[in-house]
Order: sequence, then C-alpha cells, then structure tokens
Amino acid sequence: MIRKILILATILSLVFATVVFAGGAPERTAPAPTVFDASDWDAVMAAAKAEGTVTVYAVTSRIHAAVEKFTEETGIQVEATRLSEVELIERVYREAQAGVNNVDLVLIEDLPAMKELLINPGVLVNFVPPNALENIPAQYHEPLVFAFVNRIIGFNTEKNARDPFTSIWDLTLPEYSGRVMVRDLAITGEHQNAFTELIRRSDELEADYQRRFGRALQKVEPNAGLELLRRLILNDIIIMTSDTRIAEAVGARGQADPPYGFFHVYSKFRDIERLNLALDFSQNVQPLLGYYYGIYIQLASQARNPNAAMALANFLLTQDGFRPWSNDVGIYSMSREIPHHPDDRPWEWWRERLWTYDPEFAAENRGVVLDTWLRYVQQ
Amino acid sequence: MNPRAMLGTVRRNATPQVIMSIVLIAMLCYLVLVPIIVMIQQTFTVHAMERFQIPGSRPGDFTTRHWERMFTGVDAMSFLYRPLMNTLIVSVSLSLLALLIGGTLAWLVVRTDMPMKKFISNLAIVPYIMPSWALALAWITLFKNRRVGGSLGLFEALTGVAPPNWVSFGMFPIIVTLALHYFPFGFMLIGGALRNIDSQLEESAELLGASRWQVLKRVVIPLVLPVVFSTFLLTFSRGLGTFGTPAFLGGPVRFTVLSTLLHANLVGQRPGMGYIVALVMIMFGVLVLYMDHKIIGVRRSFVTISGKSGMSGLVKLRALGRPVSVLVTVFLLCVTVIPLTVLAIETVMLIPGTYRLSNFSLHYWIGPVSHTIGLATGEPGILRNPAVMNALMNSVRLGLVVAVICGTLGMLVGYTVVRLRGTRFSRFLDQLSFMPYLMPSIAFGAIFLALFAVRRGPIPSLYGSFTLLVIACVVKYLPFSSRAGIGAMIQVGPELEEAAIMFGARWTKRMGRIIFPLQKSAFFSGLLLPFISAMRELSLVVLLVTPRTQTATAITMRFTDRGWYPYTNAIMLLIVVTILVTTFISRKLMKTDLAKGLGG
Repeated sequence: MIRKILILATILSLVFATVVFAGGAPERTAPAPTVFDASDWDAVMAAAKAEGTVTVYAVTSRIHAAVEKFTEETGIQVEATRLSEVELIERVYREAQAGVNNVDLVLIEDLPAMKELLINPGVLVNFVPPNALENIPAQYHEPLVFAFVNRIIGFNTEKNARDPFTSIWDLTLPEYSGRVMVRDLAITGEHQNAFTELIRRSDELEADYQRRFGRALQKVEPNAGLELLRRLILNDIIIMTSDTRIAEAVGARGQADPPYGFFHVYSKFRDIERLNLALDFSQNVQPLLGYYYGIYIQLASQARNPNAAMALANFLLTQDGFRPWSNDVGIYSMSREIPHHPDDRPWEWWRERLWTYDPEFAAENRGVVLDTWLRYVQQ
Repeated sequence: MNPRAMLGTVRRNATPQVIMSIVLIAMLCYLVLVPIIVMIQQTFTVHAMERFQIPGSRPGDFTTRHWERMFTGVDAMSFLYRPLMNTLIVSVSLSLLALLIGGTLAWLVVRTDMPMKKFISNLAIVPYIMPSWALALAWITLFKNRRVGGSLGLFEALTGVAPPNWVSFGMFPIIVTLALHYFPFGFMLIGGALRNIDSQLEESAELLGASRWQVLKRVVIPLVLPVVFSTFLLTFSRGLGTFGTPAFLGGPVRFTVLSTLLHANLVGQRPGMGYIVALVMIMFGVLVLYMDHKIIGVRRSFVTISGKSGMSGLVKLRALGRPVSVLVTVFLLCVTVIPLTVLAIETVMLIPGTYRLSNFSLHYWIGPVSHTIGLATGEPGILRNPAVMNALMNSVRLGLVVAVICGTLGMLVGYTVVRLRGTRFSRFLDQLSFMPYLMPSIAFGAIFLALFAVRRGPIPSLYGSFTLLVIACVVKYLPFSSRAGIGAMIQVGPELEEAAIMFGARWTKRMGRIIFPLQKSAFFSGLLLPFISAMRELSLVVLLVTPRTQTATAITMRFTDRGWYPYTNAIMLLIVVTILVTTFISRKLMKTDLAKGLGG
C-alpha cells in the first residue's frame, strides 16, 4: 500500500512539475520593442534622469570605473556586471527568453554568436548615439564598435635580436617544435572566429607558403587555413589557459630557449616595463601580423530605461567615458576624438597589417575550426 | 474501495517518513528532474550556431545529429571516447588516492592516540577550503620545466634537475593535485562514521582473539564501507566535472578530459553536444551510485549505533605516535601552507612577480585609491573596498543559509532513504538528490534562471533574489549532506526509534531527542561541505547574481580579466580565513569535534 501511495505521489508530482514549468512559460507574443528616439537629445537626457537604475553587462571589468564617472556627472545610477563572453551571451539570451528584461545595455564580443543568438532574434538592437554619429566613421556603426582589440605573435628579445619570423608558416618549422604557445582554441571563441578568416583567405596563405619556401603547399586538410592549424598543432603546440601567462612566459628574462606566443593580446605589452619583460611582437610575419576583434555596444530591445541607456551609450563613446580603457595599449576606440595611446601605433597602422573576420562566414565555419582543433590536438 | 476506507488507509499509512518522502520527491522533481529533462531536450534541438553544421536545418528543429556526431561520427574518438577514457582514469585514480589519504587521516585522528589530533583535524579540511587552482598553481611553481617558459620551476632552480614532462604536466599532476584537494571529503565522512562505531563490536572481536589488523579488516572496514562508497562517489563525480585544474595542468602536454570538451562546446556555442557531454558525466555518476546500492543493498544491516555506546580504547601507537603525528603535520602543512603562502605572497608584492623585500606592500589590502602605485588600478585595497566587503558578507550569509538547509534536508533524505531502504522509491530519491551534483554549473545556472525568472504557477518570480541563489546552491550541494545523512542513518538501528514509539514519542520528538543527537557529528560534516562549497561557488552563481546579491567569488571577476591577481588572491585568502573562522566558531557552538571521542 505504501508503495502504491508513493508511486502515485511521484507521478502526481512529476505531472505537477511539468504543468507548473510549462504553464508558467511566458507568452511569446513578441512584445512591442522599446522605442529609442534620440532626435531630441536634451529630452533624452531629461527623461534619463527620471528613469530607474540602468543595468549594464560587459565583457570588460573597466566598465565599473567608467560608470562611476557617469553617475558622478549625470546622477544616473548604474548597475554594472562583468561577465565572460559566453556567460554574457547565455545570460542575455536566457533572460530574454524568460521575458525578464533586466538588462538595458551590453558591451559584448564574439560577433558571429552575438548576431545569430541575440541580434537576429531581436534581443539586442543597434543604436548610434549623437556622439558616435559625429565622431565615429560610418563603417563602424553597424553594429556600433565600442573598441577593437588586437592579438599578435610575441617573441623574446633576449633570444631573438631580430624579428625571427617572415611567414606565419615559419611557426610550423621543426625548430619551433614544442616552442609555440597558444591560448586554448577550445575555450577562446575569438580564436575560432579568427581561424575562419584563415580559411576564407586560404589563397593568400598558400601564396605565402610558396613565397617563403619556393614550393607549393601540400595539404592534408581541404584548405590552407585548416592545414596551418593542423601543422601548428602537430608541431607540438603548447596550450595555455591565459594570455597573461603566455606573455609572461615569452617575455621573462634569462631564458635559454623561451617560447613564442601565438596570437596573444597586445594589451599585455602594458606590463613590459613593470615586469621587466624582454617582449616584442613580430612585425615582418606575412601575410598577417595577427588579428583584431570588436567589442560592440548594443541596447536591449526591451530596455526598461531606454533614455538612460542611450545616455550611457553616448557617454561611453566620449573621451571621458573611454578613459578607463584608453589608459592602456592594445585597445582602440574608433572615435576621432580619442587619440591612440602614446606608446601604441595608430589604428590605421594596425588595420593594414591585421586580419579580422567576416561574421557570416565565421558563423558558418567556426564549427569546422573547433572540430579540426579537437581532432588533432588529442593525437 | 469507498472514499472513507481509502481515507483510512491513507491515514494509517501516512507515517512521517512517507509524508516526508512525498514532500521531498515533489520538491526534487521540480528542482532536479525538470532541469535534466530540459537538458535532454536541448540535445535533440538545433541551436542557432549549430545549424551550419547540420545542413538544411533551422534553429529549433528536432535533430539526432548531436548524438550521432558524439557517439558514431568520424570524430567520435576525439569528441567523446578519448577524453572519456582520460577522465575515467583520472577520476578513479584521484578518488582512490583521496580515499587513502582521507581514510588514513580519519582513522589516525579518531581511532588512535596520536598526539596533536585537534590541530591536525582542523588543518585537514583546509585543502578543500582553498580554491582548487591554488594547488595547481603551486605545483606549476614548484615542478614546471622549461616547456612552458618563464622563470624556472623552484625544483629545477634548487636541484638543477629538470622534471620530465610527465611530472610537470598532464595526468600525473592532475591526479595528485585533485586528490590533495578532495581528500577532506573522505576525512570528514569517514571520520564521522568511525566515531559512530560502537566499541563493543571491536571489543567483542578482540575478546575472541582477533588481532588489531583483523579487527580493522573484519569489523571496522566493513562497517564504514557505505561511507567509503559515498566518499568515492563524491570525489569521483567531482573529478568528472572539474575543469580548471585539468585545463591548466593538462594543456601544456595537450591532455584533454571530458570537462574540456564540455567547455569547448559551450564556448563554441554548440550546447547540443555540450549537454551530451554533461549527460555522459551524469550517467557515470548514476552508475557509481547504482553500484553503491547494489553493494550496500546486499549487506543489509549495518546498524552500529545501538543506544549505549562508548569509545573503544584508542589504538596505542606507542613509540610511533610522535613520528606519525609529525609526519602527518608536515604533510598537511605542505599541502595547505605552501599553496596559501604562494597566494599570500602574491598579495603583498607591489609589482607582481618581483620577489624582493623592497617590493613588499600592503597596498592591495589596505591601500587608498591610486592611479600611480603598483598596478595603478584605481581600486581601493580590498579591506577598505565596500563592494568587496559587502560581497563577502553576502557569501557568508549564503554559505550559512545553504548549510543549514542542506544539513537539515540531507538528514531527512538520509532518514527517508534508509528507512525505506530496498524499495525502488528509496533508490529514486537517492539518485534524484544526487544528480545536480553532476550537472555542469553553467548549464544548471542557466536552467535555474529559466525556471525562476518568471512566475510559474504558485512559484513567484525569484529573479535577482537572494532566495534564488540559496535554492540553486542547496540543490547543487544537497548530495554532500544527503550522502553524509545516508551514511550516518544506515548506522542507526530502528530499534531505538521503535522503543521511543512504544513510549508514545512523536516523530518530531524522536528526531530531536534520538536521531539528531546521535548524528550530530555527521550532521556537522553534512553542513560544513555545503557551507564551504557555497562560499566558493562561482560558475553556478555567476548567471544568477545581480550587483545587489554579489558574492565574494563573483566579485573577483572584476580583477581577473585585467591580470590584477593580487586582489583576486587577497579575496580568496579572505574567503579561506572566513571559512576557517566560521567553522571554528560553529564547532565550538555545536560542540562537535572529530578529534574528540564519543565518550570523552
């Protein structure tokens, strides 16, 4: 008898759980999106002050310093949360699905995932505030670029008096076996995106192989991009979990045989002096010195504080708003108002030498990159 | 059956354990089963970024491709089987090693007259309090070779001998560091069980002429076997899911485990395949749980607490006592003090990595806001940073609330599972309460967000509330307390309660007067592990916290991405100290002490 009761109770609670879960799901009758009307900026600022606390999710922790300044100037309260790229996308996506509408503004990276998961379904919307209209060239408006970040190939200057590489294929030579470090592709979405560009521009990679070695590239993989990935891995690549550790391992002094850092963020160069590193990056490597990716500024389509969100977006793109970032090398605002860091090169210099990726092509092909990585990395 | 008769039957059968089981089942169905069903459903769904690898599909379509690719596809070897093999080897080895260390320490502390017990038993839980990467970091600092570049490993610098790759990276250090991190499970659970063993059993054996070793082999070990299994289960499952240490120590030699694959798929926005990895982990956990049931199911009666019990004469170590205690102390200091010191030194070096006395500074602890000193962070020292202090208070609150709820629920689950032992129902409850432990935190957090973000039936929206954090952590860490509860309850015979029933004692009274006092020590272990875990949890809460419910671990996110490790390390140290102090106080308050014998 006890058994019967228990079984019955179990079934009942299962049914109950399902009903509660399914029944409570919010109606997905596409709620009217918030209107972002910036035609009268004074009205926006006035309305912003009447709104509640703005919520920001960002992939960069400097947002905390930036919003403090914003609150100081405008009196508008901000709640900022720093999340990793995956967590940010997951959280915005889940909250939108559940109809929570907590967030007003995001600073987000991983463009293909952002497009597929958040922009196409209308969770995020692009908004170009007056300051950006005035100071940021139109090509960076859709989606609006908050800043670009660059990754390069680092080497140790004690060991190498001169830049050791003339071609990216050099890194696959036996002499660099077990000496090239990379942040794990499996946990670095932007690396995966960047490699799709190497696939897309395979011809250039192949031509460079011909130029460097005077013979045609023999491929196992269907294209030169994946072939490069395969050869890098098979040349006993060392997988690390952080760019900071890579830069320090490459640049530490007193090493007989220091490693090389494959595509670590350039921003670690800010530590050269303080940590006394012998670190430089390859400027002669063909056909690309590295790659760059964007951090984008987007509003939530269901933002509850649209005016305050617009005001904050505008502020973050000003010189004052960007100050927490412009203190360092390796991060670049597209605003004409914000000059590049004195120790850094102007953005135009980088843009010519670095590759970036095409979001559509990246979305379609990054699965192939990850598959190839997982396949060879475990042999 | 007419309604009246039915009501009568219900009333007669509605014993406390039956009612309790129904309530527990209803709760767990919603909190555990729904997330699992959602996860399974996701593995058959095409997601936005996955559609490109599944020709002709649209997001939301039904698909079996994820399963095919994982299990039978051309890459199945690298997607699943090879990392799975690695994971199983690592998990089994580390669990055995952790059991050996934890069990030995527990036996020494509880059953022998080893000196310095109190100190040792306090020190023995510290490895679990530390973040698991602290040991990995210490290992790399000591034993790295030139493969990863940078400054020399300490071992090589001192001896001039470069450790081979297998010592520096990969499977071996992963097993050792994780075993050193997780052995406190065994120490606490086995220690609790050892304390509960009625000395009469051992004395009888001795009277019959059994040697010490025979008593150990024939009496003690079989009696603690259920708890040994629980420990194995908890450690093994943790081994399956741990990500940080395997990634950090395995990467340099490209050693891949299942959790790496899980993260790869989540970062690659392929949740379908990612959740399959998670389900495989859950399956292995349930498999171990099943074996546990099989084995304990056979040995039915494990009643060791019979009402009157006294501590047996402690095993006399005689001349060995001092050397053993010194050895144990040195070992514990090595695995706790060294990593903690490495952490602490990092917090007082103004310029990270420059180990000179002139570089010593308390700036990151108590310094003012500065854009020129040290890392020029513009952040106040953490002891005067209100956001950090506030987050720490939140963490303590979270840890305490979670611990009390977990401890109580765990005892109840233990009581129910044991009293209904042998029924399919008991097994179901046991397995249900265990599953969240094996769910990857980020998936679990995401599903909880979906479950509680809006009002569902009678359950209000809990978005952004402290309650939601509590519920998530309770469900996640219930297995610690339910395993402690089951292990403990299995030792209490029903006779005690039956006697009380004869005297007309109500269920609440029986629990309060008999069961709980007997189980105080196990209850405490069941509290402590959830407390520590909740204080340290990051990936589960990160999707659920808002700035108002910020926790100490979540706030470290502010510092890590900029390489401001002094702050992160200082916060970790602060968490360790807070846990130690809280543990110490609560031990005093609850008068439980593993080192003290039951009788004394």
